[in-house]
Amino acid sequence: MSFRIAAALGAAWLAVGSLAGPARAHEGHDHGAPPPPVSKSIAPRGEAASEAFELTAIPRDGKVMLYLDRFRTNEPVRGGVLEIETPEGPKTATETEDAAYLLPAPWLANAGSHDLMVTVTAGDAVDVLTVALSIPETKAPGAAPAAAPGENALARSSAAVADLKARLVAKDPILILTASAAFLLGMLITVLARGRRSLPAVAVMAVVVTLALGTAAFAHGDEDHGAPAKGAPVQGAALLDPAQPSSDLAQRLPDGSVFVPKPTQRLLVLRTTMTEQATFHRTVELPGRVIPDPNASGVVQSSVGGRLSPPASGLFPRLGTTVKKGDVLAYVTPPVQAVDVSDMRQRQGELDQQIDVVERRVDRYRKLATTGAVAQTQLDDALSELKGLQDRRTALDKVRQQPEALVAPVDGVIAQASAVAGQMATAGGMVFQIVDPTRLWVEALSFDALTPAGNATARFADGRTLSLDYQGAGLADRNQAIPVQFAVKGNTAGLRVGQFLTVLAGTDAEQSGLALPRAAVVRSGNGQAIVYEHVAAERFEARQVRVEPLDGTNVLVAEGVGAGKRIVTEGAELLDQVR
Amino acid sequence: MIPWRMALMVGALLALPVHAHEVSGQHGGRVTDAGKYHVELVAKGETVDVFVSDGSQKPVSATGFKGTAILVVGGKPARVPLEPADGNRLSGKASVALGESPKGAVQLTAPDGATASGKFN
Repeated sequence: MSFRIAAALGAAWLAVGSLAGPARAHEGHDHGAPPPPVSKSIAPRGEAASEAFELTAIPRDGKVMLYLDRFRTNEPVRGGVLEIETPEGPKTATETEDAAYLLPAPWLANAGSHDLMVTVTAGDAVDVLTVALSIPETKAPGAAPAAAPGENALARSSAAVADLKARLVAKDPILILTASAAFLLGMLITVLARGRRSLPAVAVMAVVVTLALGTAAFAHGDEDHGAPAKGAPVQGAALLDPAQPSSDLAQRLPDGSVFVPKPTQRLLVLRTTMTEQATFHRTVELPGRVIPDPNASGVVQSSVGGRLSPPASGLFPRLGTTVKKGDVLAYVTPPVQAVDVSDMRQRQGELDQQIDVVERRVDRYRKLATTGAVAQTQLDDALSELKGLQDRRTALDKVRQQPEALVAPVDGVIAQASAVAGQMATAGGMVFQIVDPTRLWVEALSFDALTPAGNATARFADGRTLSLDYQGAGLADRNQAIPVQFAVKGNTAGLRVGQFLTVLAGTDAEQSGLALPRAAVVRSGNGQAIVYEHVAAERFEARQVRVEPLDGTNVLVAEGVGAGKRIVTEGAELLDQVR
Repeated sequence: MIPWRMALMVGALLALPVHAHEVSGQHGGRVTDAGKYHVELVAKGETVDVFVSDGSQKPVSATGFKGTAILVVGGKPARVPLEPADGNRLSGKASVALGESPKGAVQLTAPDGATASGKFN
């Protein structure tokens, strides 16, 4: 029995020996089946942080690149002075174009741990930071923060199993050869142990069986031999070639965090903010639209129906024309009906006749008044009667020619214009609307009474926001809601009257939590809201959060992250794309 | 009895490094970790004294050590080269009077060439 065990052991030993040898590639199957550990592709680096700064040192090719950022905001610090204590005395790093600092460091060529002491002067802030750089042996430059040894062993064994499987499937000639040799060896040992009587017969049988099995295995092997040379460059081992310089690429680490090298962070313009616990007023979202300020807008209407004609300039004001209060925008000439015309002619005739009579009377009185035959009072009466008649006559003439002038009631810009020369304006019809574009209001419909104190913001569909000032609320329901009016504070550029927006108005209810910009919260693949926390200089970790609406630009993180954490506010969407 | 004492010793040894950050040391200065050493910084007037001890607070001879202290005084960094003095003490003189407890860092180069640095906030 022990001989069989010895034979089996021999077979196993041989098999292991051949498999453990340098793995040569055979037609395309991948020897490095598991992906290389992530840390292999990250160059060694050191980082340090203080309350003001975050410093990352990346040694490469006898130089050290130092990346200096603000600790809270992750904003690159430009124009800083970095003085580094080196074995050759204090040296100052030179600033490069992309806000990094470069220091030639030939002394970093030696493997081992190097401690750098960096004095940072940026503006009026001075800080001393210590960075530990661990330079691995040149044979294995990827030895920086490596995966746990247990993981490595596991990965290696699973790789070996995968390799064996692949070889079996591919009918690897080496494998078959090994198995055959082992079988023969086992047989030989058995025979030697048992004695030499049946040696020739057993030997012949063993060789025949081995050959038969072996050729059967090789029978389909033609295609296998074709391309060992071709397959060689694709082998996985090439990816782990230690001689190649490691490249720094943003990547998602196995623990789910995202590694983003400093140069990439600069490229993505990642900015962070420090979370702070605070109390905020709860807000409600109301549908609203832009209306003109009632005290800074007006309409131009015709009081009589009539024909429109342009003002003295000959041109009607167009849309967007700036007008001043009192400017004549148009004339309305009331039409004279046929019956009125005959009526006026009649009145005209009568007046002319009366004027004629009174004129003659005045002449006569004037002559007689000098002699005293007619009292002076009679002459005066006749004169005033004549004047009254003449006035009435001229007024009758004027009515026929004088049109009504339409004047601008306020300063502003023509927002609506419907004037066309010769058009008949109806009495009370709006001809122009004038709006002061710098004074606009927002009217929203609220289903519950708002507190006047609360400041409100408005958000457009495209994400722009406005700051609003509460003006007042109506008491009469409209569409079963109360109209609430707000004045737009600040810049009103780009707003149009009638534009729809969402008003976020504060209520009395208070909420406590962390306010973060809306852009800081991204949707993960499974639909959950996440934010990215800046845990180390080049590491970001996703944190699941529960968010509640706060106002136009911010959301309230009710749960998920605590205070005093650095959360990515800009570029979170890009960070989420890193695979 | 012996296991009890050993347990106590082990406990003390484990507890020491935990409390090693920024505690006051035997010489009345501040103590921080610098690589495998503990350094205690005593700044008095213009003199900077740095005491080196190992992980279990045992003094390490300063002979062969070199050091530099950079301390921020009044918003300006002051660089102080440190030379071995007696015992486990390295000493240096600054050009300006140092405050009560200036923040900064100390870098030590051990006799074997290894560098270690500690930060004082």
